[in-house]
Amino acid sequence: MNFFKRAWLNLVAKKGRTVLLILVTSAIMLFVLAGLLIRNAADAATSNAKKSIGATLTLSANREAAFKKMRQGTASSTKTKPSLSMTPVKLADVKKIAKLNNVASYNLTSTTSVNAKSFDAISTSSTSSQSVMQGGGDAPGGDKMTSSQGDIAVSGVSATSLTSNFTDNNYKITKGRGIKASDANTNNIIIETELAKQESLKVGDTVTVKATSGSKTYKLTIVGIYKAPSTSTSSQMGPGATDPSNTIYSSYTLANTIKGTKYANTADSVTFTVSDPAKVSSVKKAGKKLINTSKYSLSANDASYQSVKASMNNVKSFADKIVWLVAIAGTIILALIVILMIRERRYEIGVLLSMGESRMKIIGQFFVEMFIVLVIAVGVAGIGGKFVGNKLGEQLVAQETSSTASNVNSQRPGSTGGQAGPGGSAPSGQAGRSGGASFMGSSKTDKTELDVQVTPTNLAELGGFGLAIIFISITLASGGILRLSPRKVLID
Amino acid sequence: MLTIKNLGYWYDRQENSLFENVNLEFEQGQSYAIVGQSGSGKTTFLSLIAGLDKPRAGEISFNGKGINSIGLTKYRQYNVSIVFQSYNLLTYMSPLNNLLTAMAVTQSSHKGDKKYAQEMLRKLGLTDEQMTKNVQRLSGGQQQRVAIARTMCCDAKLVVADEPTGNLDEENTQDVIQLFQKIAHEQNRCVIIVTHEPDVAAACDHSYRLAHHVFTAEK
Ligand SMILES: Nc1ncnc2c1ncn2[C@@H]1O[C@H](COP(=O)(O)OP(=O)(O)OP(=O)(O)O)[C@@H](O)[C@H]1O
Ligand SMILES: [Mg+2]
Repeated sequence: MNFFKRAWLNLVAKKGRTVLLILVTSAIMLFVLAGLLIRNAADAATSNAKKSIGATLTLSANREAAFKKMRQGTASSTKTKPSLSMTPVKLADVKKIAKLNNVASYNLTSTTSVNAKSFDAISTSSTSSQSVMQGGGDAPGGDKMTSSQGDIAVSGVSATSLTSNFTDNNYKITKGRGIKASDANTNNIIIETELAKQESLKVGDTVTVKATSGSKTYKLTIVGIYKAPSTSTSSQMGPGATDPSNTIYSSYTLANTIKGTKYANTADSVTFTVSDPAKVSSVKKAGKKLINTSKYSLSANDASYQSVKASMNNVKSFADKIVWLVAIAGTIILALIVILMIRERRYEIGVLLSMGESRMKIIGQFFVEMFIVLVIAVGVAGIGGKFVGNKLGEQLVAQETSSTASNVNSQRPGSTGGQAGPGGSAPSGQAGRSGGASFMGSSKTDKTELDVQVTPTNLAELGGFGLAIIFISITLASGGILRLSPRKVLID
Repeated sequence: MLTIKNLGYWYDRQENSLFENVNLEFEQGQSYAIVGQSGSGKTTFLSLIAGLDKPRAGEISFNGKGINSIGLTKYRQYNVSIVFQSYNLLTYMSPLNNLLTAMAVTQSSHKGDKKYAQEMLRKLGLTDEQMTKNVQRLSGGQQQRVAIARTMCCDAKLVVADEPTGNLDEENTQDVIQLFQKIAHEQNRCVIIVTHEPDVAAACDHSYRLAHHVFTAEK
């Protein structure tokens, strides 16, 4: 009859008390588990958010003043040609920055426009004012505006797989393939599915386009077809933008070629993907040392990472507080119950002491009893934890998403948009906007992924927590009685 | 076997000592009764010789060794067995399990011997059915017999009892007196019984009266 067996006999003999103990312990364990689950989910969501959002640095001409001027120009007059105000980024500079630590990849962006020749661009019929401003679909010649602004936007990139519209899953390659690094110095392009439908174009077809000034024509090979979100055509197109379906993606080299020989080995802007979003500012610092900052600017686009990080940290600190609050409250409640229980068992303690049982073994018996109760309670909590965790998780997501959405909005002025490189020209302006929208979209997704699942690790963690709680409770409770002399325990 | 030297005890103030300079010797194979008025300090004295509390003054030795140097827990575990007025059985167990628990805790030579425990209970008049139901379902006399059986199953050479017959009727009292006499004489132990009852005191081999802070031999 060792103390293990005594513990078991006690639990069995006092079934009512045992059931109550199990219920109370289960309730406390359930709360602790809920806290642990939320904290783990917040942890996982934070690291997911860090991974999936990523952060970028954009190298572009330092053209803030010119940029402003040009914006005023596009709004009211036609004096400034956007292309004239830009100092292209040199490839040599790009390669220097690319060698820095934590720079995972880079995407060169060069944007221009051409006029469709062997096919018709999609004309936006809804707003007549727009087409007037644009100088009309494929009407050649005319005023200054049309001479610099073709009806087909050429978005030259290093690879579409590095371009935020595609990495964000906003744009999808539906047929053929995307633009790859190996497309450099080729005339391979991908076109939007609406344009392909209208003109019955397929992968493998060739089309011809004409430069906006001069009479040069280019023969382009379609290697893929992509799909832009249909909503962007109506809601995300600003004034002055042509239909997004008129954007073709090519290698940046093709855009450079169309723009002219002096644009060889340049780009309008370069987006460097930083492998660890937390390192963005240090990479930016190092990068600035490598470039002529009066000519170029290197800007960090980690606003959405920062805001997601901040909101996730909120969730985490909230979850931490819950865990601690519940743990402390649980310890106090359980300790009080155990103290009451042990006081009630003072007589039993006295009997055992009078027989010469050691204090450690008496505590050991209580511990074994509570351990058995705890094992059952952890099981009960594990079953109930999924439900409670999910409810709490949903609540948290609902609260945090709304606050984060506004955060992201306010922290993302249009100018920091990933692909918004050579701002001002219509297609890239549009890309910038949808880039911003997609960041918002992705951060929202990360939050709703606050996946609450009870894993064996959770239960082990919970068990550890419970063990600590019952250890403290029993030590506190027994301490009071076992300090006394056996005579006091027994007789007084 | 049990030697008491200059023993003194008080609760709050030395002026209110219950007893002072007590010098007594208790021998194996003998039974002793301790009588005295209520509040004279009999239970207190018993708790000291049972190692449940420490004396304020003086020393208690068991077979020549101070019980403090033996260690009070060890002393209770191996050398002394206590019978209380209120039986002090573990209430969540059967009589049999109470005996097995005591045998395990005290490392009795019969530890784990269920048959021996059953035999002991049977000797003391418990049926097999009574042995396995909860002790609280037994009468006071039956519970006290279980408590005595518990003592008999353990090897402790010193048996102390505080009013063991206090809750029992005439018939049960006689039974219990007989049992304690057996424990002293047949099992060759030292039995010390605190009692109010002249019958019990008369049955014991020796009798001491505690009055006015001193013990005086009456028999
Ligand atoms: N914990 C205590 N604190 C202070 N005084 C106590 C305490 N316990 C007992 N006393 C006092 O010590 C005296 C002796 O008590 P004790 O229980 O030893 O008497 P007793 O001889 O066993 O009496 P009874 O025959 O009624 O059982 C009493 O006057 C009692 O009031
Ligand atoms: Mg008394």
